[in-house]
Amino acid sequence: MPAPYLTAPISADPRPALSLAAQAPTFTTSQASSWWSSLPYPLTLFLNTESQEKWTSYENLFLACLRTGDYPTAYTCLEALIARFGKTNDHILALQGLYQEATAQNTGELEEVMKAYDEVLREDPTIFSVRKRRAALLRSVGKAAEAIADLTVLVDASPTDAEAWAELADLYLSQGSLEQAVYCLEEVLLVMPNAWNMHARLGEVVYMSAQKMEGGDQMKALAESMRRFCRSIELCDGYLRGFYGLRVTTGTLLETLQGAKKGQPTTSDPLAGDLAPPSVATVKKLNAVATAKLAEIVRRGTAGEKGWDGYSEAELKAAKDLIDRDTQRIER
Amino acid sequence: MAAIATAINVLGVLFLSHAVYSAYEHSLLPSASTPSMLSHSLLPASLDPKITLPLDITLETLFSVLLLCAGMVLSCADLKPIQWRAWAGRLEASQEAREVKEVGVGGGNPYQALEERVGFWDISGVGKATRGWMDGGGDKKGKGRV
Repeated sequence: MPAPYLTAPISADPRPALSLAAQAPTFTTSQASSWWSSLPYPLTLFLNTESQEKWTSYENLFLACLRTGDYPTAYTCLEALIARFGKTNDHILALQGLYQEATAQNTGELEEVMKAYDEVLREDPTIFSVRKRRAALLRSVGKAAEAIADLTVLVDASPTDAEAWAELADLYLSQGSLEQAVYCLEEVLLVMPNAWNMHARLGEVVYMSAQKMEGGDQMKALAESMRRFCRSIELCDGYLRGFYGLRVTTGTLLETLQGAKKGQPTTSDPLAGDLAPPSVATVKKLNAVATAKLAEIVRRGTAGEKGWDGYSEAELKAAKDLIDRDTQRIER
Repeated sequence: MAAIATAINVLGVLFLSHAVYSAYEHSLLPSASTPSMLSHSLLPASLDPKITLPLDITLETLFSVLLLCAGMVLSCADLKPIQWRAWAGRLEASQEAREVKEVGVGGGNPYQALEERVGFWDISGVGKATRGWMDGGGDKKGKGRV
């Protein structure tokens, strides 16, 4: 099975999804028209073409077709999955719900989908895939508060589900409750402590919350944000997002440290205590390291060197803009 | 490097087979089966092979073994990173490292799923955005990646 079918087309970039959806009809017809699938039952046992790649491909093509709007092919893929795994399989129920959500034309049909989810959950409340789809449907129609309530029940029942905590953090962030978002991201990191991208995400959210604070609390939040980005760089060599965040937080921290008075009142955490604020020398060194590394990544990434082609154009451009903006400020 | 390693392996096999065959041929000569003085004291009589090989066959055997060792080490695949940060850095920096070779093998950042969250995928929103992008002309260059 060719490799492109093995990655799910759920990233922000629509191009992989488009190419997958274009190949979907040929894949489904090739699977259906193979001569051995039309043999009677006993003989098909001997000529088995079953493989994990086959069903992963079916699922990824299904997702790509839903995304691009090719509903007939999506339904063919779904039928093949149902034929193999059964209608009441947890994951297949979620895929069926996904299909119905995608093909719903108006809010009335979406309400029908919601009723179907409730029906499934009434019979068996432990189907987490359907619970997640229900929360996602509530969010997509705009009922954020109900989605948050649903997700809170979900994480209460399953506190090690990092995906649910991450979605809850995103929901809180979209509603502007930064403190709760920080709490949820910390829970994600409890479950997956080596997730360098979640350390960077937490750094970003804490930085956002620092913008709204003042005085000693702001200093503490900026220091925390800087430490999160440092941790993400410890976990991943040459992490562009981590170095970008480190550059931004150290820049802001230097400005606030230079304009600050000593001994500002802060709220102290009764459980964990306080870390000492970082010294100006340390912050300056980190700033210099971050700038140098960003410059190197931008240079090598834009040159397209072997082993440095994994950065996206948008990321590289943003890093370049950050460096250029600060060099302009120095020149002025 | 691969060509040199293969060449060294081939040479090693050739020398080894030559040395082994020479030893066999030599053992068939009647003049070879003189018991050496040393073997009396070190080996019991039942274990003594009673054949003395010339020095160059021994040296050729050892040389071929050395060649084969060197060739096998040089022809092995690239070592994969064992430090977490080196592995993570390769995934982030290199697109080739992110390819999914089989189900469960390879693949990119395993924590990317926490940011994409396929279980909560907003199909109506993402679908509308994608179809809007397609209707708006899509990607005209068709190159580059996200």
